[in-house]
Amino acid sequence: MKKISLILCLTGVGIGFLFFCVCSCFADDLQARKIMEKVEDRDNGDNMTSDMLMVLIDKNGKKRKKEFKNFSKDFGKDEKRIMFVEKPADIYNTGFLTFDYDDPKKDDDQWLFLPALGKTKRIASQDKSSSFMGSDLNYSDMTQKDTNDYNYELLKEITINGQKVWLIKSLPKTREIADETGYKQSIIAVRQDNFMVIKAKMFINDSSDIKYMSVKKIKKIDGIWVALENHIIKKEGKRVIHQTLLQQTNVKFNKNLNVNLFTIRQLEKGL
Amino acid sequence: MSTVRVKIDHFFEQLASFLYDYKYIVILFMFAAAGLLASQLPNIKIDTSTEGFLHENDPILIDYEAFRDQFGREEIAIVALKSSNIFNKKFLNDLKSLHNDLKENLPYLDDITSLINARNTHGKKDELIVEDLFENFPESKTAMSEKEKRARNNELYKNLLLSEDGLYTAIVIKTRTYSSKDEDVNDDLTDFMTSEGDDFLTDEKSVREDTKDKKKLSNQGYLTDQENSEFVKALEIIVDRHRIPLVEMYIAGTPVITDFLKRSMVKDMRKFMLIAFITIAILLFIMFRRISGVILPLLIVILSLLSTISLMAMSGVPIKTPTQILPSFLLSVAVGASVHVLVIFFQHFDKNRSKKDAIVFALGHSGLPILMTSLTTSGGLLSFSTAAVAPIADLGIFASVGVLLSFIFTIIFLPAFLAIIPLKAKSKTISLKGKTKGKNAAIMDKILNFAVHISTTRPVQVLALFFIIMLIAISSIHKIRISHDPVRWLPDAPGGIRMVNEKIDRVFKGTTSLEVIVDTGKQNGLYDTEFLNKLENASNYFEQYKDDKCFVGKAFSITSVVKETNQALHENNSQFYSIPQNRELIAQELFLFENSGTDDLEDFTDSQFSKARFTIKMPFVDAIAYSGFIKMTEGYFKEKFPLSDIQLTGMIAMLARVLENALYSMLQSYLYAFIVITILMILLIGKLKMGILSMIPNIYPIVIMLGIMGWFDFPMDLFTMMVASIAVGLAVDDTIHFMHNFRKYFEKYNSAQKAVHETLHTTGRAMLVTTCVLSTGFFTFMFSSMNNLFNFGFLIGITLIMALLADYFIAPALMVLVNKKKNYR
Repeated sequence: MKKISLILCLTGVGIGFLFFCVCSCFADDLQARKIMEKVEDRDNGDNMTSDMLMVLIDKNGKKRKKEFKNFSKDFGKDEKRIMFVEKPADIYNTGFLTFDYDDPKKDDDQWLFLPALGKTKRIASQDKSSSFMGSDLNYSDMTQKDTNDYNYELLKEITINGQKVWLIKSLPKTREIADETGYKQSIIAVRQDNFMVIKAKMFINDSSDIKYMSVKKIKKIDGIWVALENHIIKKEGKRVIHQTLLQQTNVKFNKNLNVNLFTIRQLEKGL
Repeated sequence: MSTVRVKIDHFFEQLASFLYDYKYIVILFMFAAAGLLASQLPNIKIDTSTEGFLHENDPILIDYEAFRDQFGREEIAIVALKSSNIFNKKFLNDLKSLHNDLKENLPYLDDITSLINARNTHGKKDELIVEDLFENFPESKTAMSEKEKRARNNELYKNLLLSEDGLYTAIVIKTRTYSSKDEDVNDDLTDFMTSEGDDFLTDEKSVREDTKDKKKLSNQGYLTDQENSEFVKALEIIVDRHRIPLVEMYIAGTPVITDFLKRSMVKDMRKFMLIAFITIAILLFIMFRRISGVILPLLIVILSLLSTISLMAMSGVPIKTPTQILPSFLLSVAVGASVHVLVIFFQHFDKNRSKKDAIVFALGHSGLPILMTSLTTSGGLLSFSTAAVAPIADLGIFASVGVLLSFIFTIIFLPAFLAIIPLKAKSKTISLKGKTKGKNAAIMDKILNFAVHISTTRPVQVLALFFIIMLIAISSIHKIRISHDPVRWLPDAPGGIRMVNEKIDRVFKGTTSLEVIVDTGKQNGLYDTEFLNKLENASNYFEQYKDDKCFVGKAFSITSVVKETNQALHENNSQFYSIPQNRELIAQELFLFENSGTDDLEDFTDSQFSKARFTIKMPFVDAIAYSGFIKMTEGYFKEKFPLSDIQLTGMIAMLARVLENALYSMLQSYLYAFIVITILMILLIGKLKMGILSMIPNIYPIVIMLGIMGWFDFPMDLFTMMVASIAVGLAVDDTIHFMHNFRKYFEKYNSAQKAVHETLHTTGRAMLVTTCVLSTGFFTFMFSSMNNLFNFGFLIGITLIMALLADYFIAPALMVLVNKKKNYR
């Protein structure tokens, strides 16, 4: 009797497992995955320098501008970035130095320098879903994603501004991944010619708020496609609650930046 | 004057005759009209929020909405847990699972904060750590006790997340500000994806217009009552899922109270209507001993009630806490008119057996008096229509419309219906004239005879006695306590919502707040050291505040964020828990904070850093205690920040405003009611002096009622303030009947004494019946679960009884005295 119930039990578990496999297979689709792999593996250049203008627009339409100078360089598979505030004057030369490791198990390292304090602080922040410089983008939006963390589904092919795109639904596989990126689901528009993401609708965790991201201007610079203008609109229901405009200018690649640029000493020295 | 009256009587007779002839069409038409109106009924809304007490254009409400648009809904729900050992893994695990369940499953959630995710910013040598307090549980005991120490010393957690006595911890839940009605997350996908790019709104004007447009398009306003109730219901279910043995758990906060008010209101309204209905039916049966005598008046009041509520639904006016009295109020008030018509109708019908004649006679006889009483009643009610307290104005308008509607239904529908239904004349009737004397009638006669005897033979003594009673009442009027205290409306059952809220309010030193917005008017105004120092001083000043009625539990602003960041950047040295005296450092620390993974800054300032929000947390007390405090606070900020614009808002400002409006409206409505009714009385009686004199028995019960309020400590609140104007509008009906009949009999017998006798033995009985119906109707409110409604029902019931006594004693005595003098002359 015991044996039978054990077998029944196991069969039950087996069927459940099979069901689970079938489900997750259906949820993922190979074509979409291949597209997304190409998106994440796209060459995003090395030794990049750029000026960034960030315009934050609140729900009353009030604007606030910040300007940054950016430098990044690949170190093997890892990437180092340094960023200085140019404007406004009150925070001039406030700087961030970031080491972004390819190894997903290794947390990023980040240092912050406040000139008025005259000290560098290492920031131990594990929260990638937090806002990037007060904008509607978060740190996870700025980094590449591991396609193994997501299930993809190709929704349809449409044309945006004369460009053929794939609409792909991306679902994080686990709650942890959703927590880390801050989104429970995204729908992404990928250009078919260059695998650039040009629009995205992102559903924020534990909320009905939604972010709408649109790339308004892309350009091939030194052989690399760069998004020069990015608009993000955050909505609560039908209300626009916040907007961000990100503009990159003076984008250059392959200047062979000095490795010493990506050090705490440079951070403290400022621009 | 009297020719006018004859003309009016004639008009009503003609009307009755017309209605009799076209009875089917009339009934069809009336049913169609009522049916059309009733189709609107499902649209009726309920609103028990504090905002609902103020008119849409009230400046204080506009300020509050601006505040809410900027900082979100400040009314929070609190789940409090009591444990002597909060910082223990087992307890924290339970807390975490509750926290996560709430976070994932509560609808309309905006923000949830507890020890689990409380901001924990601190420094370690050259490291800055920004984390959630219990993102992970520390493994070792020492690490745990270190965390406990940090939490207990955290100024921001104190009395928000952790009670001062250390026994309670709270999960603070903020709901969304806006309603998500009509929201469809998927409808715009293709739109968004294919749009050419003008979906981005760059200039201020277009953002505003867009928001306005959307508001109009989807009619999307603030979180609705319905959504709030869904939220509270889900909250209760989730908390129940996580009940932990031996841990006391409480749910409190204004969203919960609002929901409770709504639920008990719906329940109470049903109860009131049922009781009023049954009482009226019983009294009608006793009076007429006929099924038709019960059914017809009830049908008429139901039609009036349906039409009135439908009108409310049509005009989008929700039922609010004070307007909930409307249905049962209309039931008892509206029944009077049809009673008067039916009494005369049956008398005539039983005698002469002709239905049409009886209808014509009844309407001709009673048309004018019921028109007059309807006018005075609705006049008394209409005195609320300009009230600054929105639902009281609503009540004034719709109750008076309801009374007039019931008048129309009575004079049109009742004759037509009487014409249709088969009726048998009774040879022996128990008429109001009381020819057949039962036991009750005998007692009744004794009472009436006593009243007649006393008031006509010793008018001076009677008046003197009543005058003395009035003086005693007047002497205690000054003791009346003005009050607006919605928490104390709730029933104080052990373990009930009121006790829970009072307890949590006590434990956490207040759960409501006064919000001060200090607007520097310039971008980055908050970077100014001097400005932040002054804000910091204000915190210290207000946290010390205590008077005999209330105290400040906590006062905080953006300075707490600056101090916390400054300390963390200085290796947690507590000396640096202060405002840095360097503008750049303030700016950089705020930038760092903004960038450190929290959006908490939104709670303290606008995106421009031009406005500072200063929150003063206080307990729920009677709003009267807030008024002085608000004035003091405004004075303080205006003096310390002369260059900034100061605005006071928040729940406390709203409560105080409601009280202020109520007081002003009360005086205004008393005055209006008095003037309107005096004028109507003068018009009705046709003589200035008599008209004014007839107001004495109307004012008298009001004075006594006020005396009772002062003597027995009934608070003068939103509800009890309505008693006087409503009561005067009702009490005057009896006086009208008395004066009307007295005049008739006085002209007939030319003896005041005889006229009083006749009047009381005829109309006096009807007055008794209507007073019984009305006061029972109002006493019904004493079955309410709300204390405020209990008081209201009791006081108005008592006042109506007083009014009857005044008409039995004062009015006759006055008439005898006045007419004696006349005779001597």
